[in-house]
Amino acid sequence: MKVRLRRSEGAPIVAVRLLFSGGARVESHPGQALLAGRLLTEGTLRRGWEQIAADAEGRGAILTSFGGYEAHGLAIDALAADWERALDWAAELAFESTFPEDRLRWLARQAAAELESQADQADLVTARAFAEQLYAPHPRGRALQGDAASLATLDSARCREFHESARRWGLTLSVAGVFPEEAVAQRIGELFPGRSESGIFETPAGEMPTPPAPAAAPSPRVELFTRAEDQAHLFLGARTVSRGHPDYTALELAAVLLGTGSGLTGRIPQRIREREGLAYAATADTVAGAGLDEGRLSCYVGTAPETLDQAESAVRDELVRFVSEPIPAEEFESARSYLVGREPFRRETARQWADLMAVSALYELPLDDPAERLESLEGITAEAVEAAVRRWIDPERLLVTRGLPTSRASSLRRGSATR
Amino acid sequence: MPALATPGDVERFELANGLEVCWVRNRQAPIVTTVLVYRVGARDELPAESGAAHFLEHMMFKGAALYGPGEIDRRTQSLGGSNNAFTSHDLTAYYFSFSADRWPEALAIERDRMIALALDADEVDSERQVILEELAMYRDEPWDALELDVQAALFAGHPYARPVLGDEASLAGIDRAALAAFHRRFYGPANALLVVAGDLGAEARSRVESAFGDLPAATAARPVVAAPAALVEARRLERRHGEISRLLWALPAPPAEHPDHAPLRLLTTILGGGRTSRLHRAFVDVGQLCLQASCSLAEAELAAHVACSMELLPGTEAAEVEARLDAELAALRDLAVGDEELERSKQILVADWVFQQERIHQQAITAALALAQGDLEQPERVVARALECDAGELLRVARRYLDPDRGSVRGLSLPEEA
Repeated sequence: MKVRLRRSEGAPIVAVRLLFSGGARVESHPGQALLAGRLLTEGTLRRGWEQIAADAEGRGAILTSFGGYEAHGLAIDALAADWERALDWAAELAFESTFPEDRLRWLARQAAAELESQADQADLVTARAFAEQLYAPHPRGRALQGDAASLATLDSARCREFHESARRWGLTLSVAGVFPEEAVAQRIGELFPGRSESGIFETPAGEMPTPPAPAAAPSPRVELFTRAEDQAHLFLGARTVSRGHPDYTALELAAVLLGTGSGLTGRIPQRIREREGLAYAATADTVAGAGLDEGRLSCYVGTAPETLDQAESAVRDELVRFVSEPIPAEEFESARSYLVGREPFRRETARQWADLMAVSALYELPLDDPAERLESLEGITAEAVEAAVRRWIDPERLLVTRGLPTSRASSLRRGSATR
Repeated sequence: MPALATPGDVERFELANGLEVCWVRNRQAPIVTTVLVYRVGARDELPAESGAAHFLEHMMFKGAALYGPGEIDRRTQSLGGSNNAFTSHDLTAYYFSFSADRWPEALAIERDRMIALALDADEVDSERQVILEELAMYRDEPWDALELDVQAALFAGHPYARPVLGDEASLAGIDRAALAAFHRRFYGPANALLVVAGDLGAEARSRVESAFGDLPAATAARPVVAAPAALVEARRLERRHGEISRLLWALPAPPAEHPDHAPLRLLTTILGGGRTSRLHRAFVDVGQLCLQASCSLAEAELAAHVACSMELLPGTEAAEVEARLDAELAALRDLAVGDEELERSKQILVADWVFQQERIHQQAITAALALAQGDLEQPERVVARALECDAGELLRVARRYLDPDRGSVRGLSLPEEA
């Protein structure tokens, strides 16, 4: 088990994160990781879900269990005086959860309803279709919830089995905030040693599975009709690199140039919103969602159906210019300065530190080391960014997803791949 | 329980031209956030210029004498900072966050756009299109659209009923001249307040004086707007969107300075604060009728309202949820809250306060919003007063405010009809 501790000044808070290295990317059954994570707060050998919630909220603590693509686990934010309770709860929930079947059935119903709810939101529907286009059959191409059919066939034994396996694939504990360091280290030593090796439900962990690769030749263009009444949604992009890839930092800087910088400075919001007035929401990133698996170039525009073609054309123009022209020195330095300047804001609070330390361990990268981070940013050149952009962004091979309002279906239906 | 005081050392002063300034000195991180609030919002607009305050907020980023179009964002980025703004019915706020050695640039930017905003006609036309897309975005988002309808019904006849963004017709009528007039009228030091929070050096005061001290006060008195008339009937509205039913009930509540406001804050925590709350149990974890259920106390300067929101599971009838919500509110009016539930809700309230004050940005915004209402200590006083409430007081307040038949808006977003 990896343990990361950091005492920070500021609000009297302690933040605990416990990550199990098993997420949807390695689940055998869609929705398994999400429900395995959520079940951690649904009952243990000692307490039922109501008592678990009452004990936490009775101390004002925020207790969350979750399942993501890369890990599932626990997040506990508590008042500083309750650091020992928070650690005790983390250990109990991690190692003594009973995965009650009745709660599994309820959580599965909830997850199915979440999918229905998201279907009412046109931007989310389009984003989901874009992810499927980019990643399927990799699990990144589907919702964390899986689908209604997969949720209906999940049972608690499968979730427990997944949790048991993930525990042995890797366990990370991070604790940040205002706490007595020696006492915390000692309590962790009492609660956790060896427990990742044993449990109440013995299942051989085996090797962590490898997720299926994304399709080599996905459909280049998808159009779908959403439940929107007014706006169309456009996603345009491609898969890029994982968090640990050598090009990551260069592409992170490229992302600032395109759209993740301050306000509307990026080239995509500048062109789409500031110059052409086509959209309120116009964003771009080159490493969106990058982690253990590849992130993506993702350019997004929410615009009127009548201006959708113009928006797509403008985004393409900007990407062509981005890969074919040198980056002006002033623009490059501004982007680098932005990333350097944002560093203190990423490490301001106990909760941020706890999150940062946990993913740092998960990715086996020194993300929690400010000096290393600054050195990495200072070492990047404009030429390196240009080269990385050329390697990963090919304007001729961009994937496009367009979500069109159903109310305009009759006037907008066209011959391309529509579903 | 931890102390409720706002983190940091607070100091206030006023420049000769009327600009109110407040420091929140806090060295928890090498960061400074500035918030400049103008006491003008959608409530100050004439009906024909609905959306002008928000439109002007957008234009404040589109160029002034020293910082041309796009230059504010470019300069912010090159200094590693961030910026944004928001408009409500009561105020318009602009904020920057920089590392502690770079924050004075925010003062230079604010001075420039306070006294020399460009308002180029082409930029105005382009930005109008952007705002029309913003309107379309909210109309398509089911919760945003329902909230706008409920707000309109809750405050019918009062400026709070108007959408902050305006509508297509009003936006078409807002031109460069209208925005310039609005800016002249409201954007001066005497109608503004500045909060600077974070790792401030000793020179901070002289920097503020040098940025704003020579400006004339130059703003007219803000129009007086009366508080909304009390809603004394149960209104119901329905809209159709998508496949999922959503329910938003709003019940009028008194503003923050009223003695009943703090007990209502505690009552909304009992109803919607966390997994053990009454609504979460009744509708989500135990009742299993809804995907989510929450309750909050929405605050504006002249009024507040209790908002209960629920997203129904497919197959759940809205009528059943409505009846159960009625029953939950009736239970609060009929029976005193037990000791354990009362203590747990107080603990949640305290912890929420601590969590909300964790970031310097949050500290600055909290102070700015409180000062805009004329009372810096009000947020912590409301929490402190809520902690003193006993079950008897909660019963009295619940009977007075949590009765939908005495005044409420029941908003429903129902699935499209086949």
